[in-house]
Amino acid sequence: MTLEDNRGGLCAALCESRTSGNMSRVTPLGQLGWIVARDVNRTVGGGYAAMELLRRTFVARGWMTGATHGVIVAVSRLTPGTNVLAYCTAAGWRLRGWRGSAVALAAASIPSSIIIFLMSAALVRVAAYRAVQAGLAVGMLVACVLLFAAAWSLLEPYIKGRARIRVVAMLACALALYFVGLTPVRILLIAAVVGLFIRPMHEPSHEEGRPKTHTTAGTSR
Amino acid sequence: MTVLVVYALLVKATLTSFSGLASLPQIRQDFVETRRLMSDEQLTQAVLVGRASPGPVGAYVVSVGYFAAGWPGAIAGWLAMITPALLAIPLLTTIERWLHLPRMRSLVDAVIIAGSALLVPAGIQLGRDALVQLWRVL
Repeated sequence: MTLEDNRGGLCAALCESRTSGNMSRVTPLGQLGWIVARDVNRTVGGGYAAMELLRRTFVARGWMTGATHGVIVAVSRLTPGTNVLAYCTAAGWRLRGWRGSAVALAAASIPSSIIIFLMSAALVRVAAYRAVQAGLAVGMLVACVLLFAAAWSLLEPYIKGRARIRVVAMLACALALYFVGLTPVRILLIAAVVGLFIRPMHEPSHEEGRPKTHTTAGTSR
Repeated sequence: MTVLVVYALLVKATLTSFSGLASLPQIRQDFVETRRLMSDEQLTQAVLVGRASPGPVGAYVVSVGYFAAGWPGAIAGWLAMITPALLAIPLLTTIERWLHLPRMRSLVDAVIIAGSALLVPAGIQLGRDALVQLWRVL
């Protein structure tokens, strides 16, 4: 079974340890830190654009499948605080255990914190320049495009699966709840509770049905 | 002592919010109204700096810490920002441990789909803000 056969969401995550021929390379901590620092600290307007950049890099390097990315995004959304930091911590943990977590979290948070510290000290003078404001607006537009790309990359396996109608219904319900005024975390909790009681979207094969081993090559916890 | 208070207040706000600026009401309540560690104007400036700089939007708590207690406060803000992220590790290991169960897979699928849906209004809002800002500047 190849990863291409498993485009249906979490099946790929479950099978990752078995298909880890391409995933078994040990992720170098230095590269992990550099990639996280580069991708998280070059986007303006929120963490989801950064997550999309990280997904592209991780998948291109064979460090992670799109499905594993989806699971980590779900975890990050259920974690209190800043989502992208939770994403980096969980991704670092998945790739290199606690060292990976520490490196990814530091790489994601320290550069932007230093920039914010310096900007706070110099403050509003910088933000008052029209050129700076225009640059920020363009950065936000880029982040906006990346947000939609992130949504599509998460949804694509489900939309192309056989539970398409149910997926569309769930999307519509989530959006309706949002526009009714529920907070995102409440919507996610409702989705989690609903998810507990609906039929799975992918019937597991015999192989997929067994527990995932936690000795994925490439991790050193 | 102030730095510890700043850390405690900020970590309370970050632990009880689930996205970047969602901690703002709690921070305003604690820093501006209750403790008077900073002014409303400074809080607005902190949000502005957080929005204007690259990286996570939630990093504005570093600026809040700076305005409340100088550079030690900025470090306290950074610590308060990264503390909740550590909870992702037990959450991930728990979910992975139970992921073979159809109900858990279904739960995570539902959260992923709902989370994707929530990206759409966020993207629209961001795009609208960007266009308004561009229109104002140009």
